Amino acid sequence: MTSVPLVSVFSADDSTKVTAKHIPLPAVFQTPIRPDIVSFVHTNIAKNRRQAHAVNPQAGMQHSAESWGTGRAVARIPRVSGSGTHRSGQAAFGNQCRKGRMSLPIKVWRRWHRRVNIKQKRHAAATAVAATGIVPLVLARGHRISQVPQIPLVVEDKIESYEKTTDALNFLKRFGAFEDVQKVVSTKVVRAGISKQRGKKYRVRKGPLVVYFNENAKLLKAFRNVPGVEVVNVTRLNLLQLAPGGQLGRFVIWTQSAFAHLDKLFGTYRYASVLKDGYQLLRPLLTNPDLARIINSNQVQEKVQPAKTTKVLHDVQKKNPLKNTKAMDRLNPYAKKQRAAAVAAIKANTKGTKKIKKNKALKKASKAAFNKVAASLSDATKAAVQEEQDIKVKYFSVQKGAAQAE
Amino acid sequence: MSQKKAQIQVEQKVPESIVKKTQRDSKLRDLVVKKRAERLGQNKVRRAQLEKSAQAYEAEYKATEKSLVDNIRKAKSEGGFYVPAEAKLILVIRIRGINTLNPQVRQTLRLLKLRQLHNAAFVRINKATIEMIRKVEPYITYGYPSRTVIKNLIYKRGYAKVNGQRIPLTSNTIIDQQLGKYGIHGIEDLIHEITTVGAHFKEANRFLWAFKLRGPRGGFIAKRRSFINQGDWGNREDLINDLAKRMI
Repeated sequence: MTSVPLVSVFSADDSTKVTAKHIPLPAVFQTPIRPDIVSFVHTNIAKNRRQAHAVNPQAGMQHSAESWGTGRAVARIPRVSGSGTHRSGQAAFGNQCRKGRMSLPIKVWRRWHRRVNIKQKRHAAATAVAATGIVPLVLARGHRISQVPQIPLVVEDKIESYEKTTDALNFLKRFGAFEDVQKVVSTKVVRAGISKQRGKKYRVRKGPLVVYFNENAKLLKAFRNVPGVEVVNVTRLNLLQLAPGGQLGRFVIWTQSAFAHLDKLFGTYRYASVLKDGYQLLRPLLTNPDLARIINSNQVQEKVQPAKTTKVLHDVQKKNPLKNTKAMDRLNPYAKKQRAAAVAAIKANTKGTKKIKKNKALKKASKAAFNKVAASLSDATKAAVQEEQDIKVKYFSVQKGAAQAE
Repeated sequence: MSQKKAQIQVEQKVPESIVKKTQRDSKLRDLVVKKRAERLGQNKVRRAQLEKSAQAYEAEYKATEKSLVDNIRKAKSEGGFYVPAEAKLILVIRIRGINTLNPQVRQTLRLLKLRQLHNAAFVRINKATIEMIRKVEPYITYGYPSRTVIKNLIYKRGYAKVNGQRIPLTSNTIIDQQLGKYGIHGIEDLIHEITTVGAHFKEANRFLWAFKLRGPRGGFIAKRRSFINQGDWGNREDLINDLAKRMI
């Protein structure tokens, strides 16, 4: 038989004392977590508390305004009739007009409420209950549960008979739930927006949810005044309380009898629910959620193909082999030898290399001779030569200037 | 008072999945190493073959050129004329754009792989292709490409049609994979097949995507006229090489 997760029931007076050890977790806590169902059901159910409201149907329409029509150099919007006041001739009725009625005025017969299929509502509730037993989800929702001895926290039925708020507070303190209450207190803020003038002055967080079973329980009054704490009977679990804002993972404190009642309420995987007629808990898609184990198992690995590497068919950039020697050598292994042969051929064919060098030497020598002669010229001759050169320069620059001007 | 903590030997059990995975990974790695060594060995052999065949082609080209020259000289010395064999291969370049085309001309150009302005393609000369070229003559210029032009085209502008994609010829593996079964394993083999219009010219030419050339540096003379009439379109025989060099 597979192992069943077990839970301890704590004594109400002493958080270290356990009154009942190893109670099996109700099957609800094993349902798959379906945030999609919860968010869908929540968005619809949250609309059901709304009260109808509407704008005054006559608002903005209490004029005998009429359009002046065309030909009067004004827009064709209906204008207030009459005279003797600023208001006359002003635009009226339109949603764009000042003092006009809104577009599509809200009617009372707007569809305020939404119906949700019962099965969906039940699945949502079940999944929300399951989420209350998952520590990361409760932490993620923002509850301060680091000092809480166990999640889900199940306490003996004694707390159902608490009448005094001090008892309730001390109980919460004993079980590390007071930190959550303190969070609620310290984060109470004045609401932003107009609704503060409409009776919703403060924004208050949610604290622990206490779930009891016996109808005659007095703990409601005891916990009522503790900020953030809500109390609810297990037969009337509300998704709006279990997953406030559609967010799973409310911090819930169960009494023992409430906890035990969950199996009857939601049923188990072997038996359908007793109290919810014909309801069967949602079954998970995977029976074995350990994906790593599945993937690495022999059965899977035998069938698996080796991982495909990205096959690069060609380089991203094509290099020109006629210019790029590496690219050329890659394509034509003979290219290297061909190049070497070509170089050798050039070398073999250049018999006149000495001649070129000789010519250079000759040129140099002739220039030196000229300079020597130039140095030995008399000053008068030098001046004449310089003058001639200046004229040439001037002439050519003038020509250039004329050409550029054109 | 500091006390040394007793060293307790705890047998570290490695999770089974990790053991399996490391075994599997090492096996795969060995496979990869082996395959790589195989591939490198094969590459070495292939490259040696390619070098040898390239050398052989070079000799072949030299021989054909030399024989042509020798024949001409011989004929001259005997007072006769040497008529070399008619060209087997032409290079066709499209010189007209896509607008206002006769549908038959359009289709024929498409058949010749010339879908775009300045596209070039090799075409084998036979009765069928001659007729096709005659049909589209005013829209193309063509001639007999030299070995250098063929080589430069394939090296610089050579792209292959692989699975309908235009893949640049950056490596001999691309050629080997597609044309290996026809005995063409590398780029020099491909060039040789094209120049000599070998037995598998059809496959080699079909493997090549049309060459996308640039507009000629220095421009055309007059595309509205035929080459014979101091224009550009039609057969310009060997002078296609000058144009091609300006367009590659």
